[in-house]
Amino acid sequence: MSVLERPRLEEQVTLVELVDRVLHKGVTLTGDIVLSVADVDLVYVGLRVILASVSTLERLEGEAAG
Amino acid sequence: MSAVAEQTAWYVYGVVESSFASTLEARVVEEGELAAVVDVVPLAVFGEQALEEHLNDRAWLETHARAHQEVLQEISLAGPVVPFRFGTIYHESDDVRGMLRARETELTTALARVRGRVEIGVKAWAGPPPVQPARAPATGRAYLEQRLGAQERVRAASAQLAETARDSHLRLLSCAVEGVANRPQPRELTGRDEAMILNGAYLVADVEPIRHEIERLSADYEAQGISFELTGPWPPYNFVDEGGEQ
Repeated sequence: MSVLERPRLEEQVTLVELVDRVLHKGVTLTGDIVLSVADVDLVYVGLRVILASVSTLERLEGEAAG
Repeated sequence: MSAVAEQTAWYVYGVVESSFASTLEARVVEEGELAAVVDVVPLAVFGEQALEEHLNDRAWLETHARAHQEVLQEISLAGPVVPFRFGTIYHESDDVRGMLRARETELTTALARVRGRVEIGVKAWAGPPPVQPARAPATGRAYLEQRLGAQERVRAASAQLAETARDSHLRLLSCAVEGVANRPQPRELTGRDEAMILNGAYLVADVEPIRHEIERLSADYEAQGISFELTGPWPPYNFVDEGGEQ
């Protein structure tokens, strides 16, 4: 992404933590490009992605255990 | 490959003061006293339709959300920055300048609000309630009493957790310039057995007092099965927007 090196937070930042801030917070302006995505609501999009991955994970674990 | 130059757009991470921007290695677009920290991104990836598809791709979202966070993290360690939400994109650098002009007052106010301060995240977790020893009721009446007693205990436990969360938030606020209690994340997202009862963010000038308060809270509520977790320092995501676009 540029010159910037990966800084260290005190602990590993989970995707949920990231979504909680990066997609849910910060200044919310509608740029030129993202109009339709803003309509979709990033909050919902982010959570749906994670929920989908959690359920997939649980299904895989269930299959592995079964 | 096509001979046509790749179409690009301007992705905005956040806004800093122009005087600070000159010390950064990141790419910036300046307008007067303000500067946007930007990257030039391909429309093939960040165009409207492409973006909408990518947002449903967990790996893509994680990579790019992390990149957004890391750029802002690095800057916030060096000076005041107003983080923008992921995916704020303009066609041209002139559009970015236009945004900086149009939002000058709010952005300047937001920079003053976060200057010299960092955001600390604090989560409180409640362990599972103790299991009551089950005794077979001798009579129907005893059964009913047992059921009602169990319901009453659940209500009381729930009220106590709410009070613990409230008390914790107030005590953390006393160590902060500002604070906000966000909605706790559900178990489906955290993947943990414990229930999240507090999902707080606090804007602080000094991390030590709130760190100590977390230690005191941990000691005070340990017997109740409550644990506390500190994250950050973060860029001040929670303290720059007043209810979104006007």
